[in-house]
Amino acid sequence: MPDNQGLIRERLGKLGLETRREEEILRELGEHLADHAAALEARGVTPDAAAQEVLESVSNWPELRNEILRVETEEVTMDYRLNYRSKALWLPALCALTLSNVLLALMQVFGPLPHFYWLSRDMSMRPYFTFFVPWLISQPVVGAMAAYWSRRAGGAVLHQLLAALAPAIALLGLFVLIIPFSIILDKHVAHNIRLTAFLVLTATWVLLPSVPLLIGAAPFLRKPQAQA
Amino acid sequence: MIGIDTRIKRGSGELAILALLNQEPLHGYEISKRIAQRTAGVLQFNLASLYPLLYRMEKRGWVKGKWEEAKSGRKRRYYHLTRNGKKQLAPLREKWGMFFQALHRIAGVAHAG
Repeated sequence: MPDNQGLIRERLGKLGLETRREEEILRELGEHLADHAAALEARGVTPDAAAQEVLESVSNWPELRNEILRVETEEVTMDYRLNYRSKALWLPALCALTLSNVLLALMQVFGPLPHFYWLSRDMSMRPYFTFFVPWLISQPVVGAMAAYWSRRAGGAVLHQLLAALAPAIALLGLFVLIIPFSIILDKHVAHNIRLTAFLVLTATWVLLPSVPLLIGAAPFLRKPQAQA
Repeated sequence: MIGIDTRIKRGSGELAILALLNQEPLHGYEISKRIAQRTAGVLQFNLASLYPLLYRMEKRGWVKGKWEEAKSGRKRRYYHLTRNGKKQLAPLREKWGMFFQALHRIAGVAHAG
């Protein structure tokens, strides 16, 4: 059996890569030539002729050397550093969150007032339900946009779902943080309403908007083609 | 056999390799053999065109090469599709589908997909 690695080394010259990587490349290319030669011999080509033919299958060794060096030394571009999860989850989720909040801000300024429902008559001390109907009506668009974007980026169904629900999930996170902090920092809010406040906030700003977000996302929640 | 332009070959090669590795891990020679077989020789990758492509895909994190023992008993560098590589399949398929549709509209080039 010819020393394929040696033959390749003669033609490529020293690549100047890290020794282990360089040896690995030579070994791998040598194995490829051995397989190619074996396939030719199986078709009746003599071993010498097969060895000659496999070496001639590479018409330009210096070009192969340059191409390997280019690939091995090039920096991976930003496009590929921006990995799958960023494209399929974080970006659509962030955009959904931004869009949802921009719509809320615009409707607070230009739209009709929300409906408030207090849990007791003592309005100053009790948490209240908020129904911001125009904003809720706009949320299917946000959910649809996020789910579609995530699916196009190859996101799994779970990622599509999380991206679509990002505005509600972000608010839930905010409330989970606000309640403990308010216990420590805010002396003006009575402690006995905090759990109720948390539940009311969660119901009105997390659970309720989740419904239109899911309605918007539902038609787009599908496995990407590669996984289907 | 029709010769395919190098740039088209490189672009389509990425999709072909990802699709093959999505089925099972393969070593370089097996990849080139299967591409030739399945495209009836229209797409052919030799040592010079295949390995720079595989190394680039590995650098991007789409595939991962591991030395494993082949059926022949020899150690071969098998390429495994990574999670990231798997996620590239759908957008690449879509891009190539759009490309062929566009060609079909302008030049009447039909495709099997």
